[in-house]
Amino acid sequence: MQSLILREVSKMIIPFIQIFGIYVIFFGHISPGGGFSGGTIIGVSLILYRIAHGKEVAMNKFKYNSLIRSLCGALIFYGILKGYSFITGGSGIHFPQLPLGTAGNIFSGGYLLPLNIAVGIIVSVTVYFLFALFYEGEI
Amino acid sequence: MNIARNFPLIIILMLFISAFSMPIMKSVRKIKAFGFVTMSISTILAGCNFLYVKTNGKFEYRVGHFDAPWGITFHIGYIEAIMGVLFTIVATLIIWYSFFSIDKEIKENRISLYYLLINILVGSLLGMVFTDDLFNAFVFLEVSTLAGCGIIVIKDKKDNITATFKYLVLSSLGSGLILMGIAFLYPITGHLNMSLIHESIMALKGAHRNILLISVSTFTVGLGVKSAMFPLHVWLPDAHASAPTSSSAILSGLVLKPPVILLMKILYKVFGFEIIGSFAILDVILILGSIGMIVGSIAAILQKEIKRMIAYSSVAQMGYVFFGIGLGNELGLIMAIFHIISHAVTKSTLFLVVGAMIEKTGSKKIKDLKGIGKEMPITLGVFTMGALSMVGIPIFPGFISKWNLALATIETGRYMFVGMILLSSLLNVGYYFPIVINGYFGEENLEGKVYKSKVMPMKRLIPVFILVGLMVMTGVFSLNIIDMIRQGLV
Repeated sequence: MQSLILREVSKMIIPFIQIFGIYVIFFGHISPGGGFSGGTIIGVSLILYRIAHGKEVAMNKFKYNSLIRSLCGALIFYGILKGYSFITGGSGIHFPQLPLGTAGNIFSGGYLLPLNIAVGIIVSVTVYFLFALFYEGEI
Repeated sequence: MNIARNFPLIIILMLFISAFSMPIMKSVRKIKAFGFVTMSISTILAGCNFLYVKTNGKFEYRVGHFDAPWGITFHIGYIEAIMGVLFTIVATLIIWYSFFSIDKEIKENRISLYYLLINILVGSLLGMVFTDDLFNAFVFLEVSTLAGCGIIVIKDKKDNITATFKYLVLSSLGSGLILMGIAFLYPITGHLNMSLIHESIMALKGAHRNILLISVSTFTVGLGVKSAMFPLHVWLPDAHASAPTSSSAILSGLVLKPPVILLMKILYKVFGFEIIGSFAILDVILILGSIGMIVGSIAAILQKEIKRMIAYSSVAQMGYVFFGIGLGNELGLIMAIFHIISHAVTKSTLFLVVGAMIEKTGSKKIKDLKGIGKEMPITLGVFTMGALSMVGIPIFPGFISKWNLALATIETGRYMFVGMILLSSLLNVGYYFPIVINGYFGEENLEGKVYKSKVMPMKRLIPVFILVGLMVMTGVFSLNIIDMIRQGLV
């Protein structure tokens, strides 16, 4: 599906999609949205890039190794952060926690924002992987 | 607050987090070593947790900052602590064995994925055992199902894909039923925590009986699919027979067990004996379990491939576990849990040993294994010990569970079912002993076989020896284990 129109339009549209995705992730804890929905939106932009530019260009741009590294890094980050919160909460140790902040600010809600960002990375890469695997059979 | 209370949560977190650092690593040796090290650390932590429970008794652990009705809690008693030690130690030994066998069975670029899946699988199984929250248990059950599918399909052959698809479809059906069971319970009780659900059900005082009945039956069927209760076992032989050796051992030894434990918790902890006793659900489980014992054994006799035979034997052995639950008295329940332990160590040994035999002879057929006792005497010796335990020869744990199950059956006065146990044991002899006898004896069987020609290297046999040692120890110290399980039930 290599058409000139699609390629040119996608060049204009992809940055906006990604910015909207980042907005949904970052405002997930104070408005509707969050890591999963925002991650899906960013993943859609990656899929659109792959459709517009073909398999080879996309595989060159988004290398499997770097994608899987960011996926695993985000998962480990999520696990360690949430695990820290679980264990300090469960054993009643008063180690420093992330501040709650004032409601309505972006930097508020304790662990929600960093966890949302990690979820966003995981979901965007996973959505892209799913599309690539089912559509063309390789990532 | 004692630090040992955190260990169950730390084990699960460590297994999940470490799993995802494997795809980042480059060398296969490092990945294998990392998988082994994380699982060994979990074993040590589980052992410490067991000692803690032994000295201080059972405890509730709050996960995170919120108390029970809102947050998730872990309930760690004797049974959970024993299962934690059992799962981690068996998984460690299987991973150790897989160092030498996995390269030959799956492609090299899949190895990191394989150890990732094993860590996630064991972590989710432990989570399912530890948790006191129904929905959390459901989530762990789903994770374990998907990871279990992964370690079957990773071999990437035609058989594996069909078997995995069958497993996936059937166990998704089971998951759906379990979710429905939770959905039926939630509106009438308003809780997901097991102890709180029990309190609410007691407070209902006989109202909503039909909803409770529907809920308990969907739970039984759903968890029955996951742990191969008799008419729902159709996925098991394909899946276990086609998977790589170490996967078969994990699937058969570990993955079948936590759903049963969850079923016990749901029956006896969530609903409580008063309600279960008035529903006849236990009789259904008893009858299905005893049919499973017989039919599984007969199907195993008819098999021509050795791995399929052992897989059908798993169906029969899970039949014993359901039989124990269905008896509905204390001894039956204790023996169901004890049989879970004995089956976990025995069946994983058998699968590992059989995998080695298949690798050396290059054939899956039982008839090609004649005279193997001369070529691989030690390996077949280990197989013989496992078979003796399965059949139920004294000292081995299989005997203890069958003996006590028979006693428990007599206690309830249903003498016909004692005959079922005896018949099933005899049928077990019928499929395990021909392999042993044809392997060691018979003029024409041993003709042309060179003594110790296919013997396994010693380093590969060590984990199998440790597993056999564990099996014998389970039999020798059965009284202590049974005593601990009895304390855990209260």
